[in-house]
Formats: sequence, structure tokens, C-alpha cells
Amino acid sequence: MTLLSVKNLRVTFDTEAGKVEAVRGVSFSLGRERLGIVGESGSGKTMTGRSVLRLIRPPGRIEAEEMRFDGIDLMAASERQMRALRGQRIAMVMQDPKYSLNPVMKIGAQLTEGLRLRDGMSAKAARLKAIEALEAVQIRGPERVMEAYPHELSGGMGQRVMIAMMLIPNPDLLIADEPTSALDVTVQAEVLSILDGLVRDRGMGLIFISHDLRLVGRFCDRVLVMYKGRVVEELEAKNLMNATHPYTQGLLNCLPRIGGNRSPLPGLDRAAEWAE
Amino acid sequence: MSMIEIENLSVHYPAKGQLVRAVEGVSLRVGEKDSFGLVGESGSGKSTILRAICGLAPVSAGTIRIGGEPVPTPRGRAFSRRVQMVFQDPYASLHPRHTLDRTLSEPLAIHGIGGSDARVVRALEDVGLPAAFRFRYPHQLSGGQRQRVAIARALMLEPEILLLDEPTSALDASVQAETLNLLNRLRAERGLTFLMVSHDLAVIDHMCDRVLVMQHGRAVEELTREALAGAQMKTDYARTLFEASADRMLGS
Repeated sequence: MTLLSVKNLRVTFDTEAGKVEAVRGVSFSLGRERLGIVGESGSGKTMTGRSVLRLIRPPGRIEAEEMRFDGIDLMAASERQMRALRGQRIAMVMQDPKYSLNPVMKIGAQLTEGLRLRDGMSAKAARLKAIEALEAVQIRGPERVMEAYPHELSGGMGQRVMIAMMLIPNPDLLIADEPTSALDVTVQAEVLSILDGLVRDRGMGLIFISHDLRLVGRFCDRVLVMYKGRVVEELEAKNLMNATHPYTQGLLNCLPRIGGNRSPLPGLDRAAEWAE
Repeated sequence: MSMIEIENLSVHYPAKGQLVRAVEGVSLRVGEKDSFGLVGESGSGKSTILRAICGLAPVSAGTIRIGGEPVPTPRGRAFSRRVQMVFQDPYASLHPRHTLDRTLSEPLAIHGIGGSDARVVRALEDVGLPAAFRFRYPHQLSGGQRQRVAIARALMLEPEILLLDEPTSALDASVQAETLNLLNRLRAERGLTFLMVSHDLAVIDHMCDRVLVMQHGRAVEELTREALAGAQMKTDYARTLFEASADRMLGS
């Protein structure tokens, strides 16, 4: 079943220097599976993720032949309808907990804010639900974390808090924008296994945005490789090692390996024609 | 002769009325022109060791010797000519309102070294940046370019030792490759000694001959490159770290 289908998505910014096209004709569809979007900085992967939520501010413009989520036409939806979707049915986890949590609000207050205002829950019920969500992302001592401010948490904890926050409304689609790149490898593995478990248990769709191709290959079912606003290759994650596009191969080979031969790492040659 | 010798180093400092034991009795030796890695998760004390060497963190116990001599406190000019540091975040480690020219010529001015014009141009060239970048500000550069500037700045005084604190963890995979290649080239050309911190075992393995695994401020295990590649670690923690490295899963 298709949860989300995107056809010919374009994101354009009108700047003083002329039009800048951040995303140029991206199409994909997503069921209840894990889709990875990979590319370097500036490849348009984040913009693609944000477009689904229509979170692009002017002067940016979103155009698409079709953008449909569970039967709802996202291009035609009113701002009011979009607000009802955001968070409730499509949630987004941002990259850096340092900048995405409110620094002057306790974690507990941030987690329960939506429950109290949107769902009209009592303070007590909201608190219980928030603690439950923290437990779901394997935070030890959730009561203590509820009383903490964001700066008192480590990066891994902050990232888990953000995931917990996004999961409270039980969304159908989760967009995770580099959810682990601010984290250590050991914590990274933990956060990924938490995400993995949640996707499996709740049957969510997941869009996982990252610049780390090997990580995505390990974690996702399918991978889109983006370069300068276009998808240059789409492939099953298990076939990643057989990627045919030179850009995908470049992304795979530029990472050092344990026990590698230490010769200079191959750089990426960025051929202009790939962007055509 | 060892270039860097650290014996039983402890760094303790009070924070919020509690004593934080950031580093606890760590010893290591780095030979001349060697490359040594420190690896561990956040809060393991690996960056604190670099900071302690530079005098940015208090040494509570133990000794630090550079080239056989104990380091003076305060570190002084002679120290900064031998030892320089490259920081993790190129967005935070360059003065946002100084042009590259000013950033690069400031160490020369402090140390009374002349001919800064030619030196700045050459420094940019050495790290692969066009000379036309000289009067740009950091915000006009990409992350990888900024890290190149940070490396150029560290090399202005022609030090023998570079302390590298996660020099590529803020960069994209492809830009990381370019930066690591640059560092390896500079080390070979100038005979530099590297002490490098990273949480990425694959990066450390690519760059260093020996690696010290740290956890909770203590040294867990020292490994040679061969032992690391052959997965011959003795402690559980080093193995966990090894297995968490993304590259292994797909490579094998």
C-alpha cells in the first residue's frame, strides 16, 4: 500500500541572483517501509523531507505534479489541514537536539505541551503518557529527565527525547533528518535500533535522511541517492554494493575502513552531467 | 625519543559543587613523527586530554612532557610554536568577523614573525584553497573549506605537533575524505606528530598507528593498527566500539 507518493517535486527559491532550484523533479513512493535519502550537503535531501510537510518558507516555493499522503492531496490542502497533519500523522525528527528543543523549557513541559493543548489531556494523564514515551525510547529514569532542561542532557539523550516527542501522537509517517549524525557511534547504534523497533512495532513509514550511505544501507529497505536536487539512483539497500552510478560508488568509497590500505581516500568527482 | 609523554594524567574540576573526574590516571607516549589516536564516546575524556596538554584544562595530577621537557604553566610562546590544535567545529573555531587574512596572520604578529603576506598566501595554497579566498570571511566558506582554514592557522607557526580534536566529525563523508587526505599529506611533507581524537574508529584506523580506547575518563586498552584490523581487542568495551563502527557491518 502506498502511504506517500511524490511526483516531480520541485523546490525553487527566488533570490536576488535569480532562481535557485534546490529540488528538481524528485519522484518516489513510500509504503510502510524504511526509505533512505542520501546525498551531500546541498543535494536537496532535507528540502525534500521538509516539502512533504510543506515546511518551506517563502521565498521558497514547492511545486509538484502530485504529492499525496494516505489519499490526501498535500498540494491542495489548506494550511489548517496541514496543521492537523503535522505532528499528528506525519512527524519529523530534526538533526540536532541542541537547536531543536526549547532551551528554557523543562523536557516534561515540552513533551506534555501538545497533549495538553491539542488533546486536552489533564496534567496527570499527559505526564503519564510522556513518561511512557520516554520509556519507549529506553531512557533510564524518565522522571528525572522530565524535570531536566535540554542543556542537562547528553546529545544521545536529547535525540531520544525528540524521538519520544514525535512518537507520542503515533504518526503514520516519520521523517528523520540526520537523526544520528550528532551522536557517537555507540549511541548511534542504540538510537537506530530504537527507531527500527518503533517502525516495526507500529507499522510506520520512515524517511531517513543522511549523508552516511553505509549507515543508510544497513538500516533502510530502499535508498534514494540525491545529487544537486535530483535522484541519480534508486536501489534496494541490500544491493548497495552493486550500485552502478559513479556518484553512489564515490559516496561508498570515500569512507575509511578499519583495516583498509591507507592510500589516499578517493575523492568524489562531481561530474556536471549527473545533474542534468 | 618520545615527542609527547603523558604519565598518570588526571583532570578534576568542580562543576555545580561536585568534583568532575574528567580524566583519571591516563598515560600515553607518542614518538616523533608518529600518529596516535584517542577514541571513545562523548564524555570519555579524550578531548580533555588534548585540552590539558594546551593548558585549557587543569592538570590535577601527573605530568605532561613535550620533547622530554615538562610543559611550563602558563604554556607560553615557545610551547605554541611547537604544539598547535585543530578544533572540532569549524563553524565555531574561526572568528566570524575576521577575514582569513587576519585569522592567519595573527599568530605571526603575536610571535613577531615577518613576511606575513607571502606566508598567508602560501598557507592557503598548502591547504588547497585559492589565494583569492584571502579576504573572505568564514561565513563565505563551506564547512570543509573552513576546516582547511583552521588547519592552515594551526600550521602558521610551523609546529612539530598537531593536536586534532575530531577534525572531521562536523563534515560530510566526502569532505571528510578530502580533509583526511590533506592531513596525511601535510604530515608526510612536514614530518608532523599527530595526536588525534575521534569517536569514529574507522577514521582513527585510517590515520593512526596506535590507538588508545577510553571510557569514563580512563584508558581501557591500547591497540596497534594490526590488532585493530584483526579484531584482537582484549576488553569488551573496545569490542563494542569496534562492532558499532558502521563500516564493518557492510564491509564484511
